Amino acid sequence: MNTTPHPVSPDEVMAFLDGELSAADAQAVASHVDHCGECTNLAEQLHSTSRLLSRWNVQAIPTKLEDSVTSGWKIGGANAFIRPSFWTWKQWAMAGGGTVAALSLVLAISLPNLQRSRQATVGGFAAYQGAQPAGREGSAGKLQVHGQPMTDQKSEVFGPGTVTLSSPGVAADSNWLFHGLGDHAKNSFSVDGQPITDQQSKVFNTAAPAPMIARTVSLSVVVGNFAASRSSLDTVLERHHGYSAQLSVSTPENAPRSLQASLRIPAAELPLAVADLKTLGRVENESQSGEEVTHQHADLVARLKNARDTEQRFRAILQQRTGNVVDVLQVEEGIARVRGDIERMEAEQKALEHRVDFATIELQLTEEYKAQLNPPAASVSTRMNNAFVAGYHNASETVFGIVLFFAEYGPIFLIWLVILVLPVILGWRRYRRALASV
Amino acid sequence: MQDALPPFVLDSEATKRSAMSGISSNPDTEKSATAESDEHLMIAFSRGSTDAFSELFSRYKQPLFGFFRRRVADPAQAEELTQETFLAVLRAASRYEPRALFRTYLYAIAFKILRAYRRKVAFRATFLGAATGFHRPALQNATDTEVSLRQAVGKLERLDREILLLREFEQLNYAEIAELLRVPVNTVRSRLFRARMALRALLAAPAPKSSATELTESEERI
Repeated sequence: MNTTPHPVSPDEVMAFLDGELSAADAQAVASHVDHCGECTNLAEQLHSTSRLLSRWNVQAIPTKLEDSVTSGWKIGGANAFIRPSFWTWKQWAMAGGGTVAALSLVLAISLPNLQRSRQATVGGFAAYQGAQPAGREGSAGKLQVHGQPMTDQKSEVFGPGTVTLSSPGVAADSNWLFHGLGDHAKNSFSVDGQPITDQQSKVFNTAAPAPMIARTVSLSVVVGNFAASRSSLDTVLERHHGYSAQLSVSTPENAPRSLQASLRIPAAELPLAVADLKTLGRVENESQSGEEVTHQHADLVARLKNARDTEQRFRAILQQRTGNVVDVLQVEEGIARVRGDIERMEAEQKALEHRVDFATIELQLTEEYKAQLNPPAASVSTRMNNAFVAGYHNASETVFGIVLFFAEYGPIFLIWLVILVLPVILGWRRYRRALASV
Repeated sequence: MQDALPPFVLDSEATKRSAMSGISSNPDTEKSATAESDEHLMIAFSRGSTDAFSELFSRYKQPLFGFFRRRVADPAQAEELTQETFLAVLRAASRYEPRALFRTYLYAIAFKILRAYRRKVAFRATFLGAATGFHRPALQNATDTEVSLRQAVGKLERLDREILLLREFEQLNYAEIAELLRVPVNTVRSRLFRARMALRALLAAPAPKSSATELTESEERI
């Protein structure tokens, strides 16, 4: 075998035979092949391989194919240039049907909820406009306290009818709130501080109970003069016999001042109080909601009544029956337990009624910020220092957050990875094998 | 480059095809004989000339059918893919720009359609359990030489096989093959050499009595 190195590589000989070399290279390879037996042999081998391959014939193209393409072109004409739709009509039909079905499902789910919420809104509004001003007694009317008409401001709230506190089952507390629903009435007092009579309570019990609604209003107001608005807020609270359950004022530097307060206003005064608060400035956001607690209250009243009855029975046993010391101690334990339950339920009842009697206003007052012409600016070095410190903190917090994220979700992520990756790898291998075999 | 080709020009599909379909199917040789090049015809067609398309169709119908027929086992499928390629050319005619030879353009479309077909078949075989489509009728009219050639070519590595077929039967030059397969030209040259040598070794080896399964696999690989 000739081991002398060839000036041309075998694939160069092939490229020469394929006509892929430049004229100069082809000339050089040709002259080499003429004198090199090995390369001549290689060329012959390549020739013979190509000759063998040329025997691989393919039958003539079927005429029907020719006809279908040419007829398609002739029939389609200019339309043949237009790309047909990506989907066939069947696919369009299926997609359309699927979309309609999905929309129907969404509507079927959302419509009843929408209707419920609308009814709740309308009901709440109606109660707000009608029933609520007349207390929870459900009769709209102009209020008179023992025959005395209310002021115009208050009568605006209550509507055109008339309800008097001398009417059975109606009582008002010092906040001009009405009471008189079941046991609630028992714990209520008339304007002069006298408890409601049993007769009045019975009237309440026989009357259809009006819904007890705990109302909440969120109000966001932008004010021009923050200090004046702050004092106006106190005035509004005083005028409407409300109080501030929580109040916080924020006065950041170079930023608008803000006040956040949770105000408790007698339910009857709520519309007026809200109207007064709106006058403080420009209302940015307002939302109102009401939670009906009638069933909750009725349940509590029933349980309270049972507990009181039980306590009475225990006391009767203690007074009327005689027994040994153990029996007496057991009865006293029972009395103590029931008394504890009664007191807890009474506290719950009072809290619930207080929620109904006093509506909540979540108020946010924000100052209309006016930037100062010459704000006191920190020095460049201080600002740079602060920026670097803030940058360091941000970076460390981000890194720490990433670590925490992986610590929290990493294990479950790994589990899902193991669960999902294995089938994917197996499927992919099968797919690659199938692709290679096609 | 082509002028440095004296006596050693490798045999190709060209002579055979002309005998088969009655037309010269090597577009390069035909260009000298015909008045208009493929690119001019395609431009004329994009402007609405039906005769131009008819001419292009008559020039390439057989080579394109051969392209698919040698790569797809099912002859009916090969016909369908041929038809699909021409329809793709029809649809894309308005966007045609003569940046490359029409022949390269056509085979690029054909190759994309072929790849899409292969992916579809592989997907169905993998996930839907469908057969990959071996069809005995493909070999019904084949001679022993053709069968052995199919088997031998089917045993080549996939990329080598594609390069060999594109060179031998579609008569694409190295640069066109490289563009079509998106590989460097040097890779095309080295792979082509390797494929030819491997094919020669396979054809020179005594033909083993192949079982139906082996035949199926080699047939499918093509």
